[in-house]
Amino acid sequence: MEMNATSGGAEGQREIYHLKPENKDEERAQHSEDEQEKRKEKMGKKTLADVIQEMKTFLWNSEKREFMGRTAQSWGLILLFYLILYMFLAGMFSFCMYGLLLTLSPYTPTYRDRVSPPGVMIRPYLHGFTIAFNVSEPSTWTPYVNSMHHFLQAYDDNIQEEKNIECPAGQYFVQDGAESEERKACQFKRSQLQNCSGIGDPTFGYSTGRPCILLKMNRIVGYRAGYGTPVSVNCAIQKGNESALKSVDFYPGNGTFDLMYYPYYGKLTHVNYTSPLVALHFTDVKKNDFVPIQCRLNGEGIVNDVANDRFLGRITFTLSIRM
Amino acid sequence: MESLSPMFGPDLNFPRGLTSARAAEILARDGPNALTPPKSTPEIIKFLKQMVGGFSILLWVGALLCWIAFGIQVAQGVASAFDNLYLGVVLALVVILTGIFAYYQEAKSTNIMASFSKMIPQQALVIRDGEKREVSAEQLVVGDMVEIKGGDRIPADIRLIFAQGCKVDNSSLTGESEPQSRSCDFTHENPLETKNIAFYSTTCLEGTATGMVINTGDQTIIGRIASLASGVGNEKTPIAIEIEHFVHIVAGVAVSIGVLFFIIAVSMKYKVLDSIIFLIGIIVANVPEGLLATVTVSLSLTAKRMAKKNCLVKNLEAVETLGSTSIICSDKTGTLTQNRMTVAHLWFDDQIYSADTSEEQTTQSFDQSSQSWAALSKVVTLCNRAEFKPGQENVPIMKRVVVGDASETALLKFAEVILGDVMGIRKRNRKLAEIPFNSTNKFQLSIHETEDPNDKRFLMVMKGAPERILERCSTIMINGEEQPLDRERAEAFQTAYMELGGLGERVLGFCHLYLPEDEFPDTYPFDTDSMNFPTSNLCFVGLLSMIDPPRSTVPDAVSKCRSAGIKVIMVTGDHPITAKAIAKSVGIISANSETVEDIAKRLNVPVEQVNKEDARAAVINGMELKDMTTEQLDEILINHSEIVFARTSPQQKLIIVEGCQRQDAVVAVTGDGVNDSPALKKADIGIAMGIAGSDAAKNAADMILLDDNFASIVTGVEEGRLIFDNLKKTIAYTLTKNIAELCPFLIYIIASVPLPIGTITILFIDLGTDIIPSVALAYEKAESDIMNRRPRHKKKDRLVNEQLAVYSYLQIGIIQSIGAFLAYFTVYAEQGWLPNTLLGLRVNWEDDYYNDIEDSYGQEWTRYQRTYLQWTGYTAFFVSITIQQVADLIIRKTRRNSIFQQGLLRNKVIWVGIVSQIAIALILSYGLGSVTALNFTPLRVQYWFVAMPYAILIWVYDEIRKLFIRQYPGSWWDKNMYY
Repeated sequence: MEMNATSGGAEGQREIYHLKPENKDEERAQHSEDEQEKRKEKMGKKTLADVIQEMKTFLWNSEKREFMGRTAQSWGLILLFYLILYMFLAGMFSFCMYGLLLTLSPYTPTYRDRVSPPGVMIRPYLHGFTIAFNVSEPSTWTPYVNSMHHFLQAYDDNIQEEKNIECPAGQYFVQDGAESEERKACQFKRSQLQNCSGIGDPTFGYSTGRPCILLKMNRIVGYRAGYGTPVSVNCAIQKGNESALKSVDFYPGNGTFDLMYYPYYGKLTHVNYTSPLVALHFTDVKKNDFVPIQCRLNGEGIVNDVANDRFLGRITFTLSIRM
Repeated sequence: MESLSPMFGPDLNFPRGLTSARAAEILARDGPNALTPPKSTPEIIKFLKQMVGGFSILLWVGALLCWIAFGIQVAQGVASAFDNLYLGVVLALVVILTGIFAYYQEAKSTNIMASFSKMIPQQALVIRDGEKREVSAEQLVVGDMVEIKGGDRIPADIRLIFAQGCKVDNSSLTGESEPQSRSCDFTHENPLETKNIAFYSTTCLEGTATGMVINTGDQTIIGRIASLASGVGNEKTPIAIEIEHFVHIVAGVAVSIGVLFFIIAVSMKYKVLDSIIFLIGIIVANVPEGLLATVTVSLSLTAKRMAKKNCLVKNLEAVETLGSTSIICSDKTGTLTQNRMTVAHLWFDDQIYSADTSEEQTTQSFDQSSQSWAALSKVVTLCNRAEFKPGQENVPIMKRVVVGDASETALLKFAEVILGDVMGIRKRNRKLAEIPFNSTNKFQLSIHETEDPNDKRFLMVMKGAPERILERCSTIMINGEEQPLDRERAEAFQTAYMELGGLGERVLGFCHLYLPEDEFPDTYPFDTDSMNFPTSNLCFVGLLSMIDPPRSTVPDAVSKCRSAGIKVIMVTGDHPITAKAIAKSVGIISANSETVEDIAKRLNVPVEQVNKEDARAAVINGMELKDMTTEQLDEILINHSEIVFARTSPQQKLIIVEGCQRQDAVVAVTGDGVNDSPALKKADIGIAMGIAGSDAAKNAADMILLDDNFASIVTGVEEGRLIFDNLKKTIAYTLTKNIAELCPFLIYIIASVPLPIGTITILFIDLGTDIIPSVALAYEKAESDIMNRRPRHKKKDRLVNEQLAVYSYLQIGIIQSIGAFLAYFTVYAEQGWLPNTLLGLRVNWEDDYYNDIEDSYGQEWTRYQRTYLQWTGYTAFFVSITIQQVADLIIRKTRRNSIFQQGLLRNKVIWVGIVSQIAIALILSYGLGSVTALNFTPLRVQYWFVAMPYAILIWVYDEIRKLFIRQYPGSWWDKNMYY
């Protein structure tokens, strides 16, 4: 009798140790106990077959009806949980994005500090800045010509006259009014490009070895290029013999971007806006050589000497004309 | 060893020793008399191991892929090819730097050890060329004649040819602290048992001896044991296994996601080269580059903290091993006990008195008014050869150094505490004759003048084995009166003797006799050889019993172990009764538990009939253990929760350790002797004693207990458990942001948006902003009493379990990614790129020739303008991750308690972490924003706050998680969400 009491007491005490506020690992541990036992037996003499068997058991444990360690119910619950969690997160994210979009104006970007001052691009553009062709082989320059024609389609005199208005030159074409109001665009007719319009010479001079290149200043919403004085363009040999580039003709207006084409009001309201262009007509360039040419914008507020950005206010391309 | 005689030559009595020339010859043949240090891994190998361990391989692969991509791109003439070269170099640098760091940390903790193992060069008195000279012990060779005296360390294995009262302490070899006498007689076949051999590294306690060196260096018994220890393999520490497991998980995730998306990218018609670059990004994003360094730092912080608490950790990983310890096999002497004999009980006037045995005793409070005590104290004081070393007047009595054996020291200190100035008393009672204790007489006797000038009688005092003393007595002193020693009195003596003996104490009897003045006049010539004085019919005065008492902190520490689910097993060379008594007094055997023998005695049945399951405690004798099979030992270890192994040899310790390890336990073993080193090595964590431990033990151990105190182990365990919990938090914290780093790449590949975060930027998070916060988690206090739960199961309670990975990756990590993406979309949208324009934009966006891409407003962007915007996006993404990592850091402070329960301000280092995190982000954005190579830009202030709602969501969500865990323990939620 007494003995029982003693050992009973001892049992009780032992249990106290085990019933201390345990963390839940224990129960979980129990859960996978059998598996562990099995694994332990295999320790040390694990063959490939054992591993495969283990994997199979892991994938589908027919005893416990478990797929990858979870029963169907367990999988259902966990998937449901993640469904709810992710739906909540998706909802919250959508809500935040919606809030973000509400703060944005559809007409003017919140910030324009990264896009200005403007960059420069040229046409023809065939994924590169080396314009190389052989005058006597039309197939070498046709792609350039096609690219130019394609680009200038929007500048067709008829289209321009039909869609856009004539503006007074030499001053900014400021259109006040509600932000959402549609803005008029000023005409920039292809014919203004004169020898480089592709009207008189549909090959833009490529067939004669005196190619035209169109220069375009990147659009920036609200940007008033030149701050009152039109931005002009000049071109020079980038490095090397200055004599390789003897003469360039600029159209229109000696290579300036007229003030009337600014400011740009964004594509939503300024639908028919066409960027003003400056055509560079390389009438006397050294033939049968690679001639590196750099064209720069000049004007108030234009930056053209940043080392990192070789397209900011300037552009460099190579002409290689073979006769 | 027995074939020595020819080497002696004829000059046995007057040894001339070797000639210097001969000695030099033998030295050249045998090498110096020193133990070869255990073979250590060459430094370069250790270094290279750090270079390829953990995630390093993965990062090397990343670097290699970078260089391959660079090579291909250079061949193709791609302008941005050098980015890949640099990235490759950066990755390589990361591996090398973290490798150097880990190596340095390892080396630092090893250096602590180096200082320990450095020994003061030992000198030996050797006879060479017929004259005595001092040489360094290393110079000794076989055949040298050496002289040793009390206090010397034996410089080699020596066969004695002359000995006088020589006693040695073989405890470093056998674990037995009892001094053993040494003589020239060959007494046993076994060299370990025979009396005429003294062993290297043991100490000579008293007496003098001359002997011939028979073994030097590694050939000595100690040397052989030491080499045996180095043969026992070093197992991987539990934390090393855990970290490996974790590395496998992360590497598995990285490689499988990497390969999966490589295939997806290729099948989405990406170029193979691009796909390789994606692969690099995915690897870099997935690997927590800084984590292993952080773990090392956390461990070494804990090691430092433990060192302050007297646990010096040799191997950083052992810090955690101690925490997962489930069985401690502890020595008795010195670890559980104070390692000094102390008077525990007295018996006089037919009554037992208890004495104070604590470490700091200054007075004794038992009743000292009886005349018998006065007589007893006189015998104790006078019949004692131990003396304090001079010049220690200011040292507390208990700490003074004494010349003499353990029992005499105990008696001396006991007397000094009560009477004070024992030496003065002895001077006033001049000693006239003395017979020292020897094993045949089993008593010690001395004759003194009395200090009373009027009393011309001599006082003879005697102490010794109680039964021998009693035999010589005819009277007994009761209350100061001599009374005849009748049967009744003798029985009372027997009862007291049995009782004290039953407590495991060493009992001494004391008696005295005043020699009659007329028979022994002033000038009487006492002769100890002929014993011309009475040695019978003496007056019995009393008994004193001594024990090596437990340290006062130990019982508390043992009960802490109990509640922490750690089994404490005592393994001692001592007698079972003593062992059991100490075990009971410290709680290793709890008050209400019984051994099989106890039950048998109580029920009055033979031992065989007792149901073994009823007995919680077991005291196993070394002899029984010898005959046990492995199964029997296992059975004992499983069935009994309170076990004492007594009379065990250190070799048996190894068997016990192996038995415990068969139960899947993490075993900590304490030891000090050389013979313990195999067990220390075999144990999951070997703990050597800093004070009493031999160098071999310290070498074999993972940890050194500076104060030899068992209680320090328990504080170590607490630290070890805490660091395990905190490492979990650190890893959870670190893994979370990996998803936020990975998602950008996945979205980039699938949705073709501009890259939200760059590889370099990711490295700045992993190795910049995240480092200090993740170390700060190591300073987190425990959430609940960690000493109230069971030790973790090696194989079940993983450092990184499924819940931790899933919760970090798929829940918090996803929230973080979403928050960071919100910032990314905000930056782009406010600059003119609405989210819908971004989709599918990648190819044009990254086209170096395309310098007039239209955004949502019709504005045209050059390539560099876009790149700069992309970097702004990186910075915003980076900042968002940082901000959300602050929230992540705060939630990781606890795993189940609310942050408010834990206290936001208790761990100040966390705040240092948060401040550092934000400061680094500020510096990167505003300070280094102009350095293009780093891809950071000065960010608009408001973008710092975009992810804030998600940071708050992380906090709130985790609080809810913890609330449900606390509210519904054992529920589905608890099982799936508690990591």
